Amino acid sequence: MEPVISLNSSAIQCTSLSSSAPIWQDVLAQAITGELLAAMNYTSLSEICDDPEEVADALEHAAGERGHAAAFAAEGRKIGVEVSSNVEGMHWKRLREAFMHCIAERDFIGCLIVQEIMLESFAVASYARVAKVGPGSLGKTFARIAAEEEEHVDHAMAILRAERAQDVQRFDEKVHRLHLDVMTTLAKMLAKECKDGHCEVCHGNCVKPSLFEVSLSAAALRGASLEQYLKTLDMLGLPGEVTLAWVAQLPV
Amino acid sequence: MGGAVASVAGRGQTIEQVDFALVGHQESWKAVADVLAVLRGPKHAPLPDDEIKDILPWIPPRAVCHVEVRSVVNAKTGGAKARGLYIDSFIPPDRLEAAYVRENLARVRGAAACAIKAGAKIASLGGFSSILIEGNFDQLPERHNTVFTTGNTLTVGFIVQGVKKMCALEDRNIGRATLLIVGATGDVGSGCARCLAPIVKRVLLSARNLERLRRLAAELEADGVQVEVATDLRQFSVEADIVICAASLASSSLLLGRVAPHAIVCDAGYPKNLSPSAEMPGARIFYGGLGQITGGLSFAPDFHGILNRHPFPDVVHGCLLEGMALALEGRFEPFSQGRGFITQERVEEIVAVATKHGIYLAPLYNADGPVEDKIDCQTEWVEGMSGEAKAPLGAML
Ligand SMILES: NC(=O)c1ccc[n+]([C@@H]2O[C@H](COP(=O)([O-])OP(=O)(O)OC[C@H]3O[C@@H](n4cnc5c(N)ncnc54)[C@H](OP(=O)(O)O)[C@@H]3O)[C@@H](O)[C@H]2O)c1
Repeated sequence: MEPVISLNSSAIQCTSLSSSAPIWQDVLAQAITGELLAAMNYTSLSEICDDPEEVADALEHAAGERGHAAAFAAEGRKIGVEVSSNVEGMHWKRLREAFMHCIAERDFIGCLIVQEIMLESFAVASYARVAKVGPGSLGKTFARIAAEEEEHVDHAMAILRAERAQDVQRFDEKVHRLHLDVMTTLAKMLAKECKDGHCEVCHGNCVKPSLFEVSLSAAALRGASLEQYLKTLDMLGLPGEVTLAWVAQLPV
Repeated sequence: MGGAVASVAGRGQTIEQVDFALVGHQESWKAVADVLAVLRGPKHAPLPDDEIKDILPWIPPRAVCHVEVRSVVNAKTGGAKARGLYIDSFIPPDRLEAAYVRENLARVRGAAACAIKAGAKIASLGGFSSILIEGNFDQLPERHNTVFTTGNTLTVGFIVQGVKKMCALEDRNIGRATLLIVGATGDVGSGCARCLAPIVKRVLLSARNLERLRRLAAELEADGVQVEVATDLRQFSVEADIVICAASLASSSLLLGRVAPHAIVCDAGYPKNLSPSAEMPGARIFYGGLGQITGGLSFAPDFHGILNRHPFPDVVHGCLLEGMALALEGRFEPFSQGRGFITQERVEEIVAVATKHGIYLAPLYNADGPVEDKIDCQTEWVEGMSGEAKAPLGAML
C-alpha cells in the first residue's frame, strides 16, 4: 500500500484525502464492478459474433475494460484502500442478466444497445463528473477512461445508425424494450436513495449520502448520465419527444 | 401550408412535415411539474418537487410534443392546418438571471438546432429565448431551410389591442391618457411605443439605459409626441394612467411607482414583470400579448392547458402565435428579427394574417381570473380597422 503522502499533495489535501478515502473506495468499487461487467459482456459478445473481425474487436474491448478495472484498482491502492468489486451485486447482476438475454437470442444489436448506448452513457457521464473532482491521478484516470469509453460509443454508433436506417420502427421498439429493463435498473441504482436495500458493492453503508464530501452528488451523477443517454439517443436519430417521455417515466 | 406526411424513410418511419417549431421554456416549477406529469402518464406517480429540481437542469433541449393548429379559412372543409413541434429549451425557471446567460444561450441554440433538425420551415422563439439571442440570429446554428422569427410583432399587436380593449371596457379616453412603458427600449416596448404614442396624450419611457431611452424619445418626438424619459419611475413628473410592463426581468419583481390610482396596467412580461407584492388597489391589471386560436389547436401527447396555462382555451403567447399564423399563411419568412424594428405597419400586417386565420386577442385576464365579466371577445363584434370585414373586438389594432 502506498502512503497517502505519495500523492504529491499538500498536507491539508492529504488529511482531507485520507478522510475521504472510504468514499473514493466505494466510488472506485462501483467503477471497477462496471468495468468487469463490461469485460464479461464483451467476452460473451465475442461468442456470438460470426465475423472474425468482430470477434477480435469484442475481445479487444473486453481486455480494454479489464485494463480499466485494473487502473481503478491501482488508484485505490494509491490512496491506501483495497477496492473490492461485486458483479453479483443487486443492480449489476440485473444488468448482466439483461445483457445475457440478448446473448441468448444471439442479438448482436441488442447487445450493443445495452452495452454501448445504455451502460456506456452512464460510465462516460459519471466518470467525467468524478474526473472533475477526483484528486490527483485518480481524477486523471477517470478522465482518461471516460474519453476511451466515449470512443467505444462512437464506434458502435456507426453500426447502430446503419441498423436503424434499415427498419426504424423495429429498431426503436427494440431500444424501448431494452430501455425498460436496463435503464430502469440503472435509474434505481442512480436514485438519490437506494430504496431496494444495500447495493452489495459499497463496503459499508450506502456511499450516496456522503458524496457531497468529495463535491459529488447522486443527483448530479444521475442527471449527467441521463443527459448523456438522451444525447446518445438523439445522435442515433430517435425522436427527442419520444425519448424524453421514456426518461421521464423512469423511477426516482 | 399545412403539410401531410411527406416522405417515408426506412420501413415504418414516416417523417412528418414540420411547418413550424415553437421554442420555449416553463415559467415556474409548477409548470415544469405539470409537463413532467403528462410525460410520465397516469400509471406513474408524479415526481416529487425536489426530484424535479434535480432532474430538469440535465434535460437537453428537445421536442416535447406535436402541435397542430387549424385556420378558420375554409373551416367547412376541415380548414387549413399547420403542423409543428413544441421544443423546450428546459431552462430552469430559477435560472433566468444574467449569471446563467451562457448556459441558457447554449440551451436556446440547442433548441434551435432541434427545430432545424426536424426540418421546421419557421421557428418562433418564445419571449425569453429571443432575449437571450438579443436579435443576433447569427448566433443560432447554421440552418438550412428553417427561418426564425422572434414573434414580437404579433406580441406587440396583441398588447396594443389589449390596451385599447381595456380602455373601451373601462370607458377611458385613450387620447387623454399618459402612457408609461417599462422596458420601453426593448423590442416589444419600443414597438408598443411606436403604435400607441401617436394616439395618447403623453408618453413616459422607462428602462435602465438612459442613452437608449433618449434615442427612442427623439424618434417619437420627431413625430410630435410629448415624451419624458427616466430610469427611475419616481422621476416622472406626472402619473401614468396606462402602463405597459415589457421589461426583460428574470423574475416577477417590478414595483410600479407613479401610477394613477385607477391605472390600466398591462403586464406583458414572461416571466410576469409585476411583483406579487406590488400593491395597486384600484388598478386594472391584465396580462398582455396573448392571442386565442379559434380554428382549433391540438397537442400530441395532450398538453392542453399545460403548455398553455391560461384560464381560457387555446390561448397562446403572441410570440409563438406569430410562427403559427405565418405557417398557416404559407409565409415562411423571418417576419420579426433584430431589435427595435417593429413598426405600426408591420404590426397591422401580422395582425391581419393572424385574424384571417382566426387568431385573435385572447380574453383579458390576470392572476385573479378573467377581467371582462360579461363581455365575450369572441362574440362581441365591431368593425375592424381596415373596414374590410367584421372582426372580433379583440382583433382591432
Ligand atoms: N406576451 C408575449 O407573448 C411575449 C412575447 C415576447 C416577449 N415577451 C416578454 O416581454 C418582455 C420584453 O421582451 P423584449 O423582447 O422586448 O426584450 P428586450 O428587447 O431585451 O428588452 C427588454 C427591455 O427591458 C429593459 N429592462 C431590462 N431590465 C430592466 C430592469 N431591471 N428595469 C427596467 N427595465 C429593464 C431593457 O432596457 P435596459 O437594459 O436599458 O434596462 C429593455 O428596454 C420580456 O419579459 C419577454 O419575455 C412576452
